Amino acid sequence: MTGLAADRRTFLKGLGLLGAAALVPGCATSTSSPGSGSAATGELSLQSNLSSEQAKAAMEKVVAAYNKTGGSQVKLNTVAAEIFRTQLPTYLTSANPPDVYTWYAGSVADSYAKKDLLLDVSSVWDSMTNYPKSMQTLSTSSAGQKIFVPTSYYWWGMFYRKSNFAKWGVTPPKTWAEFVQVCKTIQSKGIPPIGIGLGDTPWVASAWFDYLNIRINGAPFHRQLLAGQGDFTDPKVKAVFTKWREVLPYFDPKGKSFPFQEATSALLAGKTGMFLIGTFFADSAPKDALDDIDFFQFPIIDPAVPVAEEAPTDGYFASKKAKDPDGVKKLMTWLATAEAQEIYVQSSSGTAIPANPDGKSADTPLVKKGKAMIEGAAELTQFFNRDSSDALQPTADAALTKFLDKPDQIDQILKTWQTAAEKVFKA
Amino acid sequence: MTSTLTQTAPGRPAPRAGGGASRRTKRSGPRRVSPLILAFVLVPFAIEAVWVFWPALQGFWLALTNWDGLSAPSFVGFGNFSDMVSDPIFRTALKNTAIWLVLFGGLSVIGGFGMALLLQRERRGVGIYRAALFTPVVFSLVVTALIWRVFYQPDGLVDTVFRSVGLGNFVRPWLADPDTALYAVILPALWRQIGYVMVLYLAGLKAVDPALYEAAKVDGASAWQRTRFVTIPQLKGVNSVVLSVIVIDSLRSFDIVWSMTKGGPYHSSELLSTYMYSTAFQSTQLGYASALAVVIFLLALAVILGYLIRAFRDET
Repeated sequence: MTGLAADRRTFLKGLGLLGAAALVPGCATSTSSPGSGSAATGELSLQSNLSSEQAKAAMEKVVAAYNKTGGSQVKLNTVAAEIFRTQLPTYLTSANPPDVYTWYAGSVADSYAKKDLLLDVSSVWDSMTNYPKSMQTLSTSSAGQKIFVPTSYYWWGMFYRKSNFAKWGVTPPKTWAEFVQVCKTIQSKGIPPIGIGLGDTPWVASAWFDYLNIRINGAPFHRQLLAGQGDFTDPKVKAVFTKWREVLPYFDPKGKSFPFQEATSALLAGKTGMFLIGTFFADSAPKDALDDIDFFQFPIIDPAVPVAEEAPTDGYFASKKAKDPDGVKKLMTWLATAEAQEIYVQSSSGTAIPANPDGKSADTPLVKKGKAMIEGAAELTQFFNRDSSDALQPTADAALTKFLDKPDQIDQILKTWQTAAEKVFKA
Repeated sequence: MTSTLTQTAPGRPAPRAGGGASRRTKRSGPRRVSPLILAFVLVPFAIEAVWVFWPALQGFWLALTNWDGLSAPSFVGFGNFSDMVSDPIFRTALKNTAIWLVLFGGLSVIGGFGMALLLQRERRGVGIYRAALFTPVVFSLVVTALIWRVFYQPDGLVDTVFRSVGLGNFVRPWLADPDTALYAVILPALWRQIGYVMVLYLAGLKAVDPALYEAAKVDGASAWQRTRFVTIPQLKGVNSVVLSVIVIDSLRSFDIVWSMTKGGPYHSSELLSTYMYSTAFQSTQLGYASALAVVIFLLALAVILGYLIRAFRDET
C-alpha cells in the first residue's frame, strides 16, 4: 500500500518539523508576559515553605483566622522547605504564579525585586508606622520600593546549659579575652568547649564568619562584602580568620561529622560547652532541657565597632503578576498586624519574635533576653545567605569547612573563595 | 546467533543481507503496517519527544548560556566549557568519577564474580548465603546511606571496631575527612552492587554446559584452567550486560554520595553528577550545570559506544 507509506513519510516529516521547532533556542526558558491570568477570582494563593509540623499548623491557624475576616479567601499551599527554595524562581517567573509567598527579608528578597518580579507593597507600609527603621530598610528594594512585609524574626547567640556552667565554675564572657579564658577552663575539665555541627549543615559555620566579621570590621563592611562589592582576599577578611584561629583548638572535633541537630543533643548532654546557633535549634530539643538553657551575646572584640547582631527576619512578598493586587495588599496589611503575628508565634515553637513591636512574644526569660539584645543592637544583619544570596552560600560552606580543617592554607582558601564568588556574582 | 541461523537455513531468504530491493522481488509488495502498531510506536514516541528529547535538546542549548533561572539566558558560546578547564572543583569531580568507575566498577565485578563462583555449587544452606549477599540490593540507596552513616558516626560501629582491635589511631571522621570521604562512600555502594553483579553471574554460570567441564577435565585441565578457558569465555554474554550496568551505574551514581556527604567536605567527594546538581540547584548556575550534564552525557556515550562498536565488530 503505497498510500500508507506516503502517509507515513509525511508524518515523519511532520515529526521532523516538530523536532526542529524544539531546537529553536530558549522556548521554555523565555519569560512570558505578565497579566495573563484571569481577573480577580476572590481567592488568593499563599505559597508557604513552613513545612515543619508545628509551623505548618500555625500557618493553617493564621489562614483560617484571615478567612473569617471576610474579603478574599486564602488558599494555603505548603511546600517542603528545600523544594520551595529551589522552585521559588520558577514560581515567580511562571505565567500564572501563586500570589503571596513566605520568604526572607533583605538582599535575598531584593534579588527578585531587581528582576522586577515583586509587587510594590508601599501602600501596606502606610499602616505599619510603628515598625522600627531597621525593618523598613530590610523591606525596601534597591529601587526604593517596599517589597516585603516582615512578620517575625529570631536571634543567634552562644547557647549553653546553666547547670553545666555552674558546675565548671565559669560565667558567661563579655569580651573575646574572657571568652578564650572560658574555653580554656572548660577544656581543662575534659570537655570540648565549642560545639558545632557541620555534617549535612555546613552553613552553620557561616554564623562564626558573620559574627567575627561584624565584630571586627562592622556590619556595613560585612554587607558590602556579601553584596559583591568587596573582595574575600582583603586583609580585613583575613583578620577574621586570624581571630578565628585563636579559638580553633577549642572546637569539638566530632562536630565535622554530624548536623546541627546532633550538635544540639551534644550540648544538652553536656558533651560540649557552648554552641553558636539560631533559636530554631529549640525545635529539636526536649522541652524540659530548654529550661536549663541560656545564651550570651557573641563576645565583643573591638569596642569601637558599633554592636551588630544577627536577626534573620521572615515574612512575605507577593508576585508582581498577582491577579488581585488589592486583595493581596489587604491580606499583607492584616499579616502585619500584631494580632496575626501573635496567632503564628503562639502556635509555632515559640522562639520567634513578632516583627510588629506591639506583638506579644512568648513570655519566657530566654525570649525576653533575646528580644532585648536585638533591640539594643546598633545594626542588624540577617545571615550569610540572606545578606547575599542562596547561590553564594555553597562557596562559603566550602571555604569555611576547609579553613576549620586546614587553617594553614587560609591564603589559598580565600583566593579560591573569591574566584567562586565572582562566578556567582557574574551569573 | 542470527548469522548461524541464516547459514544453516540457506533456502530461506536472509532477512538482513538482502535489503529492500531483493525483498520486494520475493514478496507481493511493501509490508503493511497496521495503524494500531503505528500508534503503539508513535504515541509513546511523541510523549517521549515532549518529556525526554525536548528537555534534553534544551539542555544542550542551555550549556551554551549563562542562566540563573530567572532572567532570560544569555548566550556565551563555549564559555562554560572553557571555564571547566580552570575549575578546580570540576577537576576533582572528574578525577573522583574516574576513581569511582575503576574502584566501584572493578571491585564489584571481581567481588561479584568471586562470590558467584563460590556460591554456584548447590550445597546445603547456599541459598541463605546468596540471599544474604543479595539483600542490600533490596534496600533503596538512600536507606543504605542512612545505615552506613550510623556506622561511620563518631564513636559508631566502625570506630568501635577499630578501637577494639587496637587500631584506635586510625579512627577519623570518616565522612568529614577529605582523604577518606570518597572511599567511605564507595564501600556501601560496593556492598550493594556486589550482590547485584553476583546474581547476574550466577545466572550466567547456570547457563554454562556442564559437558564442557567434563571435556576439560578429561583433557586434564586444572581448576584454574577450567575457570580461565571454559567459564570466562562462556560468560561473554553476561560480561557485556555487567559492563553496561556497571558503567551506567557508576556515571549515574548520585543518591548515595548526596545522602552521605553531599560531595563534601569542601568538594572532596564530589562526583560529576553531584557537582552538576549542586551547581544547578544550589548555586543556580543552570548554564554551567547544563554544560556539566553535556560532559557526563558525552562520557557515557563514549564508553558505551566504544563497547557497542567492539561488540558489533566481534559479531560480524
